[in-house]
Amino acid sequence: MLRIDGLSAGYSAKPVLNGISINVEAGQFVAIVGPNGAGKTTLFKTISGILQPSGGQIVFGEADLLTVPPAQRAHLGIAHVPEGRQVFPSLTVMENLEMGAMTESGRRDWKQNIERIFEWLPVLAERRGQFAGTLSGGQQQMLAIGRGLASSPKLLMLDEPSMGLAPSTADFIFERLIDIRKQSGLTMLLVEQRVAEALESADHGYVLEAGRVVLEGNNETLRADDRVRKAYLGM
Amino acid sequence: MEGFLQALTAGLLIGAVYGLMCVGLGLIFGVMRVINFAHGDFMMLGMYVAFYLFTAAGVQAFFGNAVGPFVAILLAGPALALFGYFVHLTLISHVSGTRTASLEGEGHYAQLILTLGIALILQNGGLIIFGSVLASIRTPLSSSAWELALFSDVSVFINKARGVDAIVSLVIMTLLSLLITHSRIGKSLRAAADNPTAATYMGIDVDRAHRVAFALGCGITAIAGGLLATNYPFHPFVGLEYVIVMYAGVVLGGMGSIIGAFWGGMTIGLVQQMSTLILPTQLQNAAIFVVFLLIIFFRPQGFFGRMVERT
Repeated sequence: MLRIDGLSAGYSAKPVLNGISINVEAGQFVAIVGPNGAGKTTLFKTISGILQPSGGQIVFGEADLLTVPPAQRAHLGIAHVPEGRQVFPSLTVMENLEMGAMTESGRRDWKQNIERIFEWLPVLAERRGQFAGTLSGGQQQMLAIGRGLASSPKLLMLDEPSMGLAPSTADFIFERLIDIRKQSGLTMLLVEQRVAEALESADHGYVLEAGRVVLEGNNETLRADDRVRKAYLGM
Repeated sequence: MEGFLQALTAGLLIGAVYGLMCVGLGLIFGVMRVINFAHGDFMMLGMYVAFYLFTAAGVQAFFGNAVGPFVAILLAGPALALFGYFVHLTLISHVSGTRTASLEGEGHYAQLILTLGIALILQNGGLIIFGSVLASIRTPLSSSAWELALFSDVSVFINKARGVDAIVSLVIMTLLSLLITHSRIGKSLRAAADNPTAATYMGIDVDRAHRVAFALGCGITAIAGGLLATNYPFHPFVGLEYVIVMYAGVVLGGMGSIIGAFWGGMTIGLVQQMSTLILPTQLQNAAIFVVFLLIIFFRPQGFFGRMVERT
């Protein structure tokens, strides 16, 4: 579904990604893990078109993504739940969800989507009239996820949904994500620093370090790997 | 007592029109974060468009002297919106929106020079095309008044033209608020203002949203200009007289707040008219800025502004 081939990108002269290749099949849950500064967020920004790559290829479905203008990429079925949540603070919870449903598919499926989102993340239903800027961090994260789901995406990209949250809140959000994935069969691409949780629930994983894929495989292979165990799992 | 009520009425009437004028600028600043120094000159253009539609394009002949001016003024709105749309497309979009990432100081320097340049071109172009003679949109309504009896012995006179001006302003302001708060376009404008990057992730074309905001802002201020022109004569440099009031109104209301800009403009109208009770007319504008400084001193973020920077 998403094929990234030899992608290089960065800010002005400083390259952050050095020829990364990543593959996400339809229905898969793929996790990308790695330390701070490995280039995980840069990768997501390049997929969404906020950053121009200096080389390589991104194909989504049949489309060569690099020829698609950034604002059009959501309409192809890519939902980006950005790092740091980035909800619209002066819009209400409901309006934020409506912004997620700006795509054609989101508009078409609005009724059933909103029902399911409220079922998965009931706090959003309770707070639907509240300004998003007044929500707690965890609630904002749930709103960002709900907003992504509201577009009826083919691919949901999650950039560190646990960032800046209390461990218990982060655990809760992880559980919700796994439930959502079980019930919807949605293709997900997750970037995470909580390596243990990410690798446990994903079908396939990539370890990113200093802008390169240093390791990849299914979750058993990765969790059995000595380097991963030592560096990330603390075993 | 009567003098006070009369000044209050005059202030509310002119304040409604100033409010609308400020909203046009506030919308552009709120959504795009671009300081448009040419906004007063877009308004001047709106005045002339309304003037020529009324006198030369047959609106006067068709609708008569009472309704005609207001039809022409309302038509000047879409005309200036279209003009603003093309100015954004061909000029402003090069130094704002998604292009600012590669520019010095987020493009603010380039925006400053560009909008000042547009202002100069409009002013001097206006001088060549329209000439320096004062023009005005004349309607018999400006020389007649409604008498409003408040108590048995106190009554207030409302100039008919100013009364209609205020009503038109309030109607347009209401329609705009509904558009901003309830329509899909309005919500996407607010989203693009809140967080352009996240708006792009939602599939909102931020540059297009900016273009819509710029066009709307120009159209609204053009209508406000036309309304002012029923009472005040104008000339190609009239924009300079109003642009300061516009900025004061937007700052008073709170930078970025669209409804705030309306109340900012309203405050300025009130202060301007009420000050004549105790000060000579020449000090009207000085009074505006004394009150402006006082309000900013006690509430630096304006009426509706937030102290914290948006995330």
